[in-house]
Amino acid sequence: MSAQSNFPYPIPEYGSEPYWAACNELRLVMQRCATCEKFRWQPAPLCTFCAGEEFAWTPLSGRGKITTWTVVTHPVHPAAVERVPYVVVEVELEEQAGLRMLSNLLEIDLGSIAIGALVTVDFIEHAAGQMLPVFRLTTSQEEI
Amino acid sequence: MDSICDQACIVGIGHTEYSKDSGRSELKLACEAIGAAIEDAGLCPADIDGITKFSMDNNDVVDISRSLGIPHLRFFSEIPYGGGGGPLGTVLLAAMAVATGQASAVVAFRAMNERSGRGTLRFGQASTAAGAAGAASYAAPYGLFSPAQMVALAAQRHMHLYGTESKHFGEVAVACRHHANLNPDATMYRRPMTIEDHQNSRMITTPLRLYDCCLETDGGAAVVVTRSDRARDLRQRPVYIASGGLGGGPWNHRFMVRDIESPKTEATIIAERLFTDAGITHADIDVIFVYDHFTPLVLMALEEFGFCERGEGKDFVGGGRLRWPDGELPLNTSGGNLSEGYIHGMQNTIEAVRQLRGTARCQVSDAKHVFVSAGNAVPTSAMILKGAI
Repeated sequence: MSAQSNFPYPIPEYGSEPYWAACNELRLVMQRCATCEKFRWQPAPLCTFCAGEEFAWTPLSGRGKITTWTVVTHPVHPAAVERVPYVVVEVELEEQAGLRMLSNLLEIDLGSIAIGALVTVDFIEHAAGQMLPVFRLTTSQEEI
Repeated sequence: MDSICDQACIVGIGHTEYSKDSGRSELKLACEAIGAAIEDAGLCPADIDGITKFSMDNNDVVDISRSLGIPHLRFFSEIPYGGGGGPLGTVLLAAMAVATGQASAVVAFRAMNERSGRGTLRFGQASTAAGAAGAASYAAPYGLFSPAQMVALAAQRHMHLYGTESKHFGEVAVACRHHANLNPDATMYRRPMTIEDHQNSRMITTPLRLYDCCLETDGGAAVVVTRSDRARDLRQRPVYIASGGLGGGPWNHRFMVRDIESPKTEATIIAERLFTDAGITHADIDVIFVYDHFTPLVLMALEEFGFCERGEGKDFVGGGRLRWPDGELPLNTSGGNLSEGYIHGMQNTIEAVRQLRGTARCQVSDAKHVFVSAGNAVPTSAMILKGAI
């Protein structure tokens, strides 16, 4: 897979602009509630655990593990025709149980994808200029 | 009134043919299906004073009333979440309207040119818009577009957690195809399928194969609902709504990615009341209609509606249990979304009525209680129907 995406680009909106702006600085951030200190995903105006209003955009380590995945082999979008097969993953980030985001897994032997494998964030550039967080297998997998 | 139990009946059913290209407008399909349902009930359009619809349906209730000659509407409403809210939620809205006296006879319908794309965009294809907003902005940039791709993620995790295999998904596909081969109206009539055929079908998005995915169809389907005391005087044997429910909550995402480990799901929320309201248990159910958009979600629905424990779906669907006439719990006896036609589940609702009238092609002898669920992985709806009170 090339390190560039021409799938639909994300449109930053009120509430998500800081997330996408941080991506452009190659930083993965999420909202962390000032009251209960839990991260939430996706961006939301109130804490999804305690309804708290106050939060801080907080950097994440970018490390996590694969919780599920699919290899897309049938293209349903014009840009997918030259991309298949490609891997969509759900990653649980190490900061918090259940904190899961969707992304791509890059440069992977399709036969070796495993739930529980450790991954690390990287960033690729969308054709429209927005940087997107994606994941690669962590070089050292000893902790599995 | 503590619940909807026995307050309302389905008294008419109607549908168009199921095709890849209907050759006519979605309004024409809606009017044909609704007209057939009204006639089946022995009513005329002037007897109808309410319409309930899927929010996703392009048809406008005023256009329908004008076209069919429905002189006035006292109730109209619509329900979101496509095949989740729609196929039973529209019927539940109709039942609530007639039970409370807000309307006398209400039609619930779904009509679309979903396969030809003449009016409704194919659900299996991605929007070609250059940018993605809202929830899609966290999925589409990664090439995660279609319901199949999203459901594949949940299916993969189900396999990991519970040891479910592709062949277990195949049991659902084969049962539905078996029934479609006994139904000349079904899209897949005379197209038999074995587990081996399922295993050999091409991969779409691992672990989902082609035969794990429902059809895409042009067509329409409708039912007529009225109050139980009126229903007894009409042409058809009434089918009573024993219970109904809607379910959803914070675990539902804005798309079809599921957290399958969540203790509460759209299905468990409904199951908490569905059997209690109907005054029966799972063992009293004679036939099941479980929304079959994707085979893995049928296993999850069976688990979460309480027909088996979480993770036991793989064993539950085996041994021919789901196949008429010998299986103990026949599933989707006209072929379902997978093999009859994909009218967003309304065709399953219609077949459930046939089972209780005793007019199904794959008729379960002496069927008394039928369970019908709508699409899971989104907020959903379900009902228990019965043939007598």
